[in-house]
Amino acid sequence: MNDVATFRPVDIGADANSNADEPDAKITARNLNFYYGSSHAVKNVNLAVHNKRVTALIGPSGCGKSTLLRIFNRMYAIYPKQRAEGEVLLDGANVLDGHYSVNRLRTKVGMVFQKPVPFPMSIYDNVAYAIRHYEKLSRADMDARVEESLRNAALWDEVKNKFNQSALGLSGGQQQRLCIARAIALKPEVLLLDEPTSALDPISTAKVEQLISELKTQYTVLIVTHNMQQAARVSDSTGFMFMGELIEFGPTEEMFTHPKNQKTTDYITGRFG
Amino acid sequence: MISMWMRRQLTDYIAKTLGTAATLFGLFWLTWILWTTVSKGLPALKWELFTQMTPPPGADGGLLNAFAGSIVMSGLAVLIGTPLGIAAGTYLSEYARHTKLGATIRFVNDILLSAPSIVIGLFVYELMVRQMGHFSALAGAVALSFIVLPVVVRTTDEMLQLIPSTMREAALALGVPQWKVVRQVLYRASMSGIVTGVLLALARISGETAPLLFTALNNQYWANSLLDPMANVPVVIFQYAMSPYEFWHALAWAGAFVVTMFVLMLGLLSRWLLLNKGKIS
Repeated sequence: MNDVATFRPVDIGADANSNADEPDAKITARNLNFYYGSSHAVKNVNLAVHNKRVTALIGPSGCGKSTLLRIFNRMYAIYPKQRAEGEVLLDGANVLDGHYSVNRLRTKVGMVFQKPVPFPMSIYDNVAYAIRHYEKLSRADMDARVEESLRNAALWDEVKNKFNQSALGLSGGQQQRLCIARAIALKPEVLLLDEPTSALDPISTAKVEQLISELKTQYTVLIVTHNMQQAARVSDSTGFMFMGELIEFGPTEEMFTHPKNQKTTDYITGRFG
Repeated sequence: MISMWMRRQLTDYIAKTLGTAATLFGLFWLTWILWTTVSKGLPALKWELFTQMTPPPGADGGLLNAFAGSIVMSGLAVLIGTPLGIAAGTYLSEYARHTKLGATIRFVNDILLSAPSIVIGLFVYELMVRQMGHFSALAGAVALSFIVLPVVVRTTDEMLQLIPSTMREAALALGVPQWKVVRQVLYRASMSGIVTGVLLALARISGETAPLLFTALNNQYWANSLLDPMANVPVVIFQYAMSPYEFWHALAWAGAFVVTMFVLMLGLLSRWLLLNKGKIS
């Protein structure tokens, strides 16, 4: 295994993966491998996610892009028989290390999922829920924090008069922005977005995309998307994954205009996937 | 072509008729039982039923001590069985879902779920009555709690498993520890289901006679202590129904009527809770 790991960086993908040592990297993946039982889902990925930029991961279904995302906050760890090998450095510290507290990691690296999952409680409590676990805030401070989070998630105007109503009554698009508010309420440093608009209608999608561009002023955003236009619209850098490997990684504009790898070209031009 | 179409129509017709007939057959007996209970129980329903003690032969009386005893013992059984059952169900669903140990416990719990209640009665007789030297309400409550326990374990386990894993992931992704996620998010999401399980368990024990026959026995008077034998509706119904006295028969029917209505009400309440799932939180 070790042989492969040291050998791969000079393999064909080496050019694509060579940004792993850029100075402003917030998250750096080194020789990252992931296994579901015996199936090898992420293969020797090297990647640097830039600080306060939007990075998109694209690729056909089952290429490992969501799996890769779920390694960064150790979401996989709640299931048996899933394991990651290699390193994921967050500000230089390896978060895959067993000594790195998983709960601390998840407060720094927030995540928003494909389907909005509001908790069965009020809109206010949805946002305040995780804050309450970490900080003892006065009522006024908590109110301010909830308002700030909802404003940053572009949801404030729609819910400010119905704080105490159940979050289950919101529309799908509102629920998804509530989930974003819930994630940024903890003031994370990184936001992982796993196909955040795939369950939303076009108008809600536009709102969330608009939001993503605003979020990058404060957060490092890593988004997985099936939608290439979306990647082109919202991201600064894009990575193309195929069959568990990171085939190509670079500035979004370059990726979509002059892809270096033939597979990337085929995917972007719609020849497969 | 046409003959095949006709054959399918015929098969469909026969299957539908047989299915309807089977349903009507089952409903027929149920209606008969309910009708008998209502027609014999309703006339015997008097205010004194709830204000007077069980009478000796030949005197007037009610079932006050039996109702009180049933409420006390069933309540105590629910109080013992519910927290244990919820905790065990949570363990099965959240901490041991795909493990061998979990599967084994689930299997054993299902055996307990279908254990004949008289066996549970005998077990508690050996465990408590023989040790204490006399029948007691406490032993009755413990015996009933053995019936509550597996029902609550099963429903808690099932209701928690029904929650999509995305809800767990969303909560855990916020860096909240698992025990808090279970307590504050998952319990909330499955509340109506778990409460339904407790209600069904309560419905099940309100008519149980065998476990009480060996444990709480009966008491013609008001029991002042949980360590005394205690009257309860099922055993009083049994005793009075077996008696040669007309007045006792009437009381037994009245008791049966009240218990049946209580169980029916619990059934409706749990139905309503499940239908309104999500609307209450």
